[in-house]
Amino acid sequence: MKASLGRCARGVQLVTSRSLGPYQTAAVRIGLAGTWLLFLLREFPHRQLLYGPDGPWGWSMARRLIAGNDAFTLLMWSDGRLWFEAVYALAVVASALLLFGWRTRTMSVLFMVGVLSLQNRNIFVGDGGDNVVHLLAIYLVLTRCGQVWSLDARRAARAGAAGREPWADRAGPVLWAGGAAALAAVTVLGVAGWGWLLFFWTLLTGQALWWWLGRRAPDGQAYLLSDVVAHLVHNGALLVIMVETCLIYATAGWYKIQGSRWQDGTAVYYPLQLESFSPWPGISGMLAGQGLLVLVVTYGTVLTQVAFPFALLNRRAKNVLLALMMAEHLAIAVLLGLPFFSLAMIAADAVFLPTVFLLWAGARCARARAGVVRRARAVFGRGADGVPGDEEPAGPARKLPVRPS
Amino acid sequence: MDAYGGAGDAEADPEEETRGRDEDRTPSRRPGIGAQRAASPEHLPDPSPPAGRTAHTLGSAPGLAGAAPVPAGSRPAPPPVAADPAADSAPAPGSAEPDLVPVVSPGAVGPGIGALRVGNQVVAAVVMALVAAGVGVHLLMVFLHVAPANTVTKQHGQAVDDYIYPEFEQNWKLFAPNPLQQNIAVQARAEILAEDGTLDRTRWVDLSALDGEAIDGDPLPSHTRQNLLRRGWDFYVNSHDTAGVPNGMRGDLSERYVRRIVLARLVTELEGTRDGVIDRIQVRSRTTPVPPPPWSDEKVSRKPVDRELTWWSVTDSDVPLDGSLQLRRDGEGGAR
Repeated sequence: MKASLGRCARGVQLVTSRSLGPYQTAAVRIGLAGTWLLFLLREFPHRQLLYGPDGPWGWSMARRLIAGNDAFTLLMWSDGRLWFEAVYALAVVASALLLFGWRTRTMSVLFMVGVLSLQNRNIFVGDGGDNVVHLLAIYLVLTRCGQVWSLDARRAARAGAAGREPWADRAGPVLWAGGAAALAAVTVLGVAGWGWLLFFWTLLTGQALWWWLGRRAPDGQAYLLSDVVAHLVHNGALLVIMVETCLIYATAGWYKIQGSRWQDGTAVYYPLQLESFSPWPGISGMLAGQGLLVLVVTYGTVLTQVAFPFALLNRRAKNVLLALMMAEHLAIAVLLGLPFFSLAMIAADAVFLPTVFLLWAGARCARARAGVVRRARAVFGRGADGVPGDEEPAGPARKLPVRPS
Repeated sequence: MDAYGGAGDAEADPEEETRGRDEDRTPSRRPGIGAQRAASPEHLPDPSPPAGRTAHTLGSAPGLAGAAPVPAGSRPAPPPVAADPAADSAPAPGSAEPDLVPVVSPGAVGPGIGALRVGNQVVAAVVMALVAAGVGVHLLMVFLHVAPANTVTKQHGQAVDDYIYPEFEQNWKLFAPNPLQQNIAVQARAEILAEDGTLDRTRWVDLSALDGEAIDGDPLPSHTRQNLLRRGWDFYVNSHDTAGVPNGMRGDLSERYVRRIVLARLVTELEGTRDGVIDRIQVRSRTTPVPPPPWSDEKVSRKPVDRELTWWSVTDSDVPLDGSLQLRRDGEGGAR
């Protein structure tokens, strides 16, 4: 009894004093922003066809549908082409900046706005990958996903190292003021639903309050309390991301068990024969001809998907299944021609990656980057020191107790 | 059925969805944070690795020392964050370098609830309860949404839908319960009014086959080739009964949508082949079962099943992206 109380107390202390999984949330952030950025760039030539005001899913058609479900999208505020281009550009820029972790929290909000705006504008062109991005984009807003591997972390570390006053920053307040002005305009114009307005105003005032409290008295009770709240919200959102990922696998697995093709071991054969999912018909045909292989992959898929949530109880089992899962997603990316779906799923999976592995991967990236910088210096004669890298602050020097939002 | 296409098709549920959740009060990333000062006045930030690593091992956070270990009145424990991935230190592939053994993860380490005054501890406990409740409710709703229809959803399905739609909708029946076992080709033809007043009917153009060819060898297939027509047709089929009667607004919209997708494609395909104006178009789907695998003794009829829609008269406003119904044969002037 006493022991369990003590454990409970330690748990409470843990979730109120730290934002857990800094590397995992950073990996999710990088993976997600990278996936969406790649998608936006890939579809850049087709953006009008997919989401534009004069595309097949015309603006007035979307308006009729959205009048019924109140989905959030900036693109319904105007049917102008310029507006569309601006929103698309915003989505691209926000994705890139979130990837690098520049003003991470603000960018995560803009990233979500970009994702929802485009996807909700035309819900009939998405697939499972878009669905994953959609959900994670919302959850990510509530996390402190820039604690490591971000420009924010680097800036905080440098400010600390130089003994600079960390509050002396210009971009942040400017960004905030811009956001506040935009939100005020939106509120006055009455183009957004009250629920979303409440959400955005809460984020905005929370940010200001937190900053002001810390600046006024970083040791003060009010600031410490606000920090506890931020930790709690982060940890809650992190849990949601983890459970959501489990739900994806559990649902995918349990529904498969009920299908006759997954039972007789031929299920994997069929997608390989579908025109929309066979970018490499030669390879697909060859694989589809291997009865035993098809059986093993069919059963293996169901097994791993159903087992995954339970494997979390055992670290080693989890890591094995995670590796299998990621390998399968890579195969899906290529064979079924679903790279964006697979990348999004891998980003979601990353929340379960072991810290040791992430540190190792981060160090590899940092070393690779250092090599590139060295070579660039040799070529160009002088430093490219300011070049940011998303994987950059992986080294030991980055393990400073920085305080991201 | 075809799962990768299923998600994202929001039902028209005219209810509010965003409940301003209480835990949304997220103090956010602010420029320059009085980080180290707050957390550890005596540990001035030091870029050297050892200091950084050891300064904030769990539980050593300044402020914790003098504080009562637990707030007496603390509320129900938070959700099982025991599954904390950060705590995970299983051996990783490629094993870490010696200097990278993670003693503690970096990031914000605050004094936590233990350093708060009693009044603030109560506030923190309330917030924790709210976050826990929010997380619990959200996950329950999502679970009920993805689970099959059951005792609870039969009674409270509307409440679940109200919460889920439109932003949390999801469908993870990925190729389940059974993968799609037919190739569904959407084909179209047009009647073209020539300048001399004759009506010319084109052959069927297999738009899905063209999509299939377009993604061949493409490592990054475009949604315009993989999803646009395929999911547009799904939308049409799902919002019409088998006799082709639209069900309400979605039926109307889907019809218009398919017509516009097809028209854009037909214009591209037919442009340059003849002179005239597209007058009407007709769409059909041709469903061909995938033959059973070579080792199977199942017999499946390979006969395609067609579903033909009525002819649609089209106008210039039906052509997306400011296109035109006017076709010109190659090499006869005109804006090509």
